[in-house]
Amino acid sequence: MNRVARVATAGAPLVPARDWRFWLLLVALLALLAALLAPRVALTRPARDILLVIDVTGSMNVRDYATGGAPQTRLAAAKQAARALLAGLPCQSRLGLGIFTERRSFLLFEPAEVCENFAAIDGAIDGLDWRMAWEGDSYVTSGVHAALALAAGLKSDLVFMTDGQEAPPLAGGRLPAFDGKPGEVAGLLVGVGRTDPSPIPKFDQDGREVGFYSEQDVPQENRSGPPPEDAPSRAGWNPRNAPWGGEPATGTEHLSGMREEHLRALAAQTGLGFAPLDGAPGLIAAVEADTRARPVVTRIDTAAVPAALALFCLGVLFGLGAISSRRPGRLPVQ
Amino acid sequence: MSWAGSILDGLTRDWGVDHPLVLALMALALLPFLATPFVRRGIPSAALVPVDPLSRAVAAALRLAGCLAILALVLGLAGLHRREQSVEREGTGAHLVLLFDRSSSMDNSFADRAPTGDQESKSAAAKRLLAEFVARRPHDRIGVAAFSTSPMPVLPLTDHHEVVDAAIDAIDRPGLAFTDVGRGLALAFSYFADDTDETSRAVLLVSDGAALIDRRVQDALRDAAARTPVHLYWLFLRSRGSPGIFEVPPGEDTPQANPERHLHLFLQGLGLPYRAFEATSPQAVADAIAEIDRQETRPIRYVERVPRRDLARPAFMVAGFAVALLLAAKLAERRLAPARRTRAPAAEAAPARRAA
Repeated sequence: MNRVARVATAGAPLVPARDWRFWLLLVALLALLAALLAPRVALTRPARDILLVIDVTGSMNVRDYATGGAPQTRLAAAKQAARALLAGLPCQSRLGLGIFTERRSFLLFEPAEVCENFAAIDGAIDGLDWRMAWEGDSYVTSGVHAALALAAGLKSDLVFMTDGQEAPPLAGGRLPAFDGKPGEVAGLLVGVGRTDPSPIPKFDQDGREVGFYSEQDVPQENRSGPPPEDAPSRAGWNPRNAPWGGEPATGTEHLSGMREEHLRALAAQTGLGFAPLDGAPGLIAAVEADTRARPVVTRIDTAAVPAALALFCLGVLFGLGAISSRRPGRLPVQ
Repeated sequence: MSWAGSILDGLTRDWGVDHPLVLALMALALLPFLATPFVRRGIPSAALVPVDPLSRAVAAALRLAGCLAILALVLGLAGLHRREQSVEREGTGAHLVLLFDRSSSMDNSFADRAPTGDQESKSAAAKRLLAEFVARRPHDRIGVAAFSTSPMPVLPLTDHHEVVDAAIDAIDRPGLAFTDVGRGLALAFSYFADDTDETSRAVLLVSDGAALIDRRVQDALRDAAARTPVHLYWLFLRSRGSPGIFEVPPGEDTPQANPERHLHLFLQGLGLPYRAFEATSPQAVADAIAEIDRQETRPIRYVERVPRRDLARPAFMVAGFAVALLLAAKLAERRLAPARRTRAPAAEAAPARRAA
């Protein structure tokens, strides 16, 4: 009151205005100062290290997917989903690429950071082609076992995209033994293709498509190793001259459907997960479920919180001023 | 409207926000023109207020400060930033395709047996020296291709050397059986098919052997060489005891007996600038790579990237100054006190100027 009295005696009865507007402005200013000094908080995000191996054997040329009404080969569908997966991985994840044919997984490049090298990795996946295959055989089980060893050496998780078509078929239908430790490498097998069998396109030596494989074009039975137990009941069986029977084997190995049962058994043997490929979102979800997340620290700016408070204060200040009456209700009291 | 579009284009090319929807809050910036932080008070007659340009200017400045504070806050919250810029610069370098032999003989030492103890396999030596080579050439655009039994594109031409290093790291993995160098070269040439830049282009073939090139592949290679003028380097990792590529062997000199020498003759006949390096030890490989490094130093336009710059904090700073100005004005606000009756006329003669 002293001050008021002094001002009044100086000739002007003016009182500093300390109403709610003042306090809102003060809070806004303090909030802005806080925003300028706000620390960056370390948050962890799940990045993933993935070795992606894609089957490029002949059966991947089966056109049993469709995109926009046009048939799409399994390889094209796998590549499309893999590129979507690459785009969906958070930064600081790493992705390496390999291809599978014959009985080996062949590493094209070791895992590299996905955001910085996106265009190159995307181009590399897009460049995969069945012509890269160096051999017609497709020992999927050996390929998966080799890929697991490769992934273990690279300290990555494995995403193996295949249709599970063994060519030639497994001897006696039994899975070859796995000498690694199941579950040591996390990851999943992605079953590419529809489960109902479709004919496999056949190419001549110049890479032109010349029809489909017929029953006698492909081995229908694996005749290495000891003959099966039911062999003596086959027509023309002779223990020395025809241990597998006298007739050529018949079967449906020239048709290819995704071998879900085989892949599930292989996944169980090696401790991997299994997911059929049905569009990119499903693949990303399956990869997130079956691979290990590596927490990486990202710095998040917290300035937005106090800044939002400042904006709120200013909004209230000017907003209330604007909606309250433009004209004062009455003159100051006399 | 095309000019508006082009202005918008110009703005969004260099500048961006992370959360565009937040920009809708910019409508709040109109409020300071409807209200002020000061208390409205009536005065008996507007005629009492003298015309004062300075007061008007201050009033307008305070409204602008309010508007600016809100605009700056909204822009800061939306995550205003200057986009990653790319600046084109001139340097020395080349567009380079590394073509690797991934056949299993590369896994042997230069003495052509499984490496023991302190020996280095040919592929491990090539890997180490090529990684150094790539690190010395920061402006190159590099693509990677491999061949063994079949040609395999590994990486398209890229500026990002980290992934190139990852591809080089993979070359000492166990390889495949054969050496189909012809189709590998055809693949490497195809990398430049739609590369229309005027820069120097080079293919660096790294292999430890060769094989017969199919006659049709030979024709295709001659075609490709005529279409795409590239510099060709062959780094031949020669194992001890294997025939060299430069000297004419004493016995039979046929492509079947000496595929390496005949590949060399074939490459010479392509009409391209071509050099072969015969390396019999890791040191010789290092010398050859240094020589290639010296050769490929022609001007290249390369793109240098200026990283994105966040402008949220500068925006908050601007908002802070504006709010501080408003607060200072608010502190200077005085309200008319109910004065003693005797002094009432004096009180009314001093209206709060900025109450407008």
